[in-house]
Amino acid sequence: MSLLTRFPVLASIVPRRVSAVTYGVVAGLLAVGVQVFFGVKPPPAYGICVACHTRDVVAWLSNHLVGTQWEIAPVSIPLPLLTTIGMLIGAFIAASRNGERRKVALGGHWRSFVYGILVVNAAIVALGCPTRLLLLTAYGDTLALLAVAGLVVGILTGTMLLTRGIVN
Amino acid sequence: MQPAIVTLIMGILLGYLAQRSRICFIGGLRDFVLVRDTELLKGAVAFFITAWLAFSVAGALGLVDWRPPTFDGSASAQVVAMGIAWSTTANNNVLSLGLPVLMISVVAGIVLGVFSTLANGCPTRQHVLAAQGVRDSVYYLGGFYIGVIVYNLVTKPLLALIY
Repeated sequence: MSLLTRFPVLASIVPRRVSAVTYGVVAGLLAVGVQVFFGVKPPPAYGICVACHTRDVVAWLSNHLVGTQWEIAPVSIPLPLLTTIGMLIGAFIAASRNGERRKVALGGHWRSFVYGILVVNAAIVALGCPTRLLLLTAYGDTLALLAVAGLVVGILTGTMLLTRGIVN
Repeated sequence: MQPAIVTLIMGILLGYLAQRSRICFIGGLRDFVLVRDTELLKGAVAFFITAWLAFSVAGALGLVDWRPPTFDGSASAQVVAMGIAWSTTANNNVLSLGLPVLMISVVAGIVLGVFSTLANGCPTRQHVLAAQGVRDSVYYLGGFYIGVIVYNLVTKPLLALIY
């Protein structure tokens, strides 16, 4: 990153090693902070949601370009929330700076494609991606708690499918 | 400031931290079950506790409006509300929603968990991997965006039959 090499101070602030707990704390504060201080609402507890914000971007484009009336979060009606686009940029910067960009062809591409379709549908119906389900539960939403319970069962089932070799 | 700009900046920060920490909320439980590794699981727990405390503090300071959101007429044209998606938040009488709605939430959670595990990571992790250049995750993201169209054309009409 030329920006970071040009400003050594910046490079010293931006850490190379980050623990999962650090991410959790920062993400938790940001998710609540953008709602409370920057008006990322309604709906509430909507600060971070990968699936819903993707939905908003696609629905906003479709509504404006093709004239559909797809559902979109009220906060995303003027301009869609761009969390997911930012995540791609941020992860790209982090990977480039630390030499972790790579081209890996693992095979099974179309299966991943189908997984993507299934996951985003399930996430939108379940009120959000795993991150938002936790956020909603922290907000006090009982329905999200039910979805989290389902999520735990689903992960255990999926792990079992992997370990038993039913799906590889 | 525009919510779109705020979330873009937040996303860049989160994407950076997510890449460095390899965070994955699905992977947390999976790793614990498979190899008893708690690193990622601690991240998920830290996120939940932090958000809970932050909401509590903000609520105590009167910064959070706990009432379910209402939508004015102009918005409702675009907000084809699923009913449950945005209006029941922090609503205590969750049982009043009826069994079908509760079951759909649980089932959707299960489907989300199973296929996220099989896809090798939660949506956040897949975004990070796609940005790193992992081809599988790029395909996954393609499915993620096409999936929104599928949701509007297929899943939502199907769900409307149940509600």
